[in-house]
Amino acid sequence: MRISVMSQIQRGLSIELPSLVPLQLPSRMETHVWYILPDEVKSTSLLKHYSQLLSPLENEKVLQMRGDELKKNALLARTLVRTTIARYQTNNAVDPGSLMFKKNMYGKPEVDWQNCNNPPLHFNISHTDSLIACGVTAHVPVGIDVEDKERKIKHDVLAFAKRFYSIDEVDYLSALPDPEVQRTEFIKLWTLKEAYVKALGKGFSAAPFNTFTIQVKAGTRGGYNLCETSETTATPLGKTRKCDGGWKFALLELAGSHYAAVCTEDDQASEGSPMRVIVRKTIPFVEDELITEPKLL
Amino acid sequence: MASLSTTSLSFKAPSIQSTRISQVLRKPSSFQSIAFGRFQSSRSLRLQISCAAKPETVQKVSDIVKEQLALSADTALTAESKFSALGADSLDTVEIVMALEEKFNISVEESDAQNITTIQEAADLIEDLVQKKPATEAS
Repeated sequence: MRISVMSQIQRGLSIELPSLVPLQLPSRMETHVWYILPDEVKSTSLLKHYSQLLSPLENEKVLQMRGDELKKNALLARTLVRTTIARYQTNNAVDPGSLMFKKNMYGKPEVDWQNCNNPPLHFNISHTDSLIACGVTAHVPVGIDVEDKERKIKHDVLAFAKRFYSIDEVDYLSALPDPEVQRTEFIKLWTLKEAYVKALGKGFSAAPFNTFTIQVKAGTRGGYNLCETSETTATPLGKTRKCDGGWKFALLELAGSHYAAVCTEDDQASEGSPMRVIVRKTIPFVEDELITEPKLL
Repeated sequence: MASLSTTSLSFKAPSIQSTRISQVLRKPSSFQSIAFGRFQSSRSLRLQISCAAKPETVQKVSDIVKEQLALSADTALTAESKFSALGADSLDTVEIVMALEEKFNISVEESDAQNITTIQEAADLIEDLVQKKPATEAS
């Protein structure tokens, strides 16, 4: 099926794109992560099909991007959101082109189900030049942030952290012996912190980066804690810090090239249990690939 | 809905640029931060009526943006250019703000930093902060 679709597209034939394979909603313990690698999407007729899914406003915004690569990535980002959500068909098939979106009162995008068939589905998207990812959960808010592992920070990493991160995070980074390790840990922390703010969905002013600390949960693999930071003086780690739950984190490596952090609200039904992340790479309507062993960091 | 009394507006010059007001009012995030956000100080109330920033400031901001986003020197940037349309993500925006802080010797609050979306907004914020610096701090 995949081969015939792609060859038809390559020959420029007008085709009916196959339907998206329907999926069940993620369970309360799961986050589904879907990602696209823009470099793998080259067919102009496929891109044209994608643009037909977008609303006029979305297409307008795509055109406002400066340069062909940014336009393509913006198109793929909206396509990823629409096709991903449309896969989770609870009662009837959902046409990805018919989905409507709105923003919550702080500006976080969400689906506007228009009062028909409100599945408890949450999503969040993040993109870099070379990877676009969409996280999906049921019942709980989700935030996702991706960064290229090799991303170079123009400023001195510690100076940047001192300016924006919490005292404990600065201490953690300062203690690392190697500047390259400092850089990668800085980026991992960035994605975790961004994912949290995006999951919270109240805008950046609701959770300034220096007011919270994310640290590795001792004795777990891939577990992270969210702690409040005392703004005044640095207190010994873990003593007077409030590190209650409430939010779950996962940090992954995607496609060997990117860090992806996912944050979901920890609801009582699944309290304490780690987040299970199911990762799929996709070229919508062409191929979906389940990543059988996602690399957790 | 935030209500404005004349005492809460700061007039930088006799004339008011109506486009500046409508820009600020139209932008959802700045509106929301007025109605729903927490204010640490009056400085975080971004709805201020002032003249648009000087062209030199806009130019300096453009140069920093080009450098941070690795744009070619001949990329045409205007005051209205949006960071997101140039491919800037949140990390880029924060790096741009840090570079602006260094260049202009100012300190930007994080909530303001994350709310900057265009070159004009960055330039206006810079001039606002530069003006507010006490005379003894003149660099």
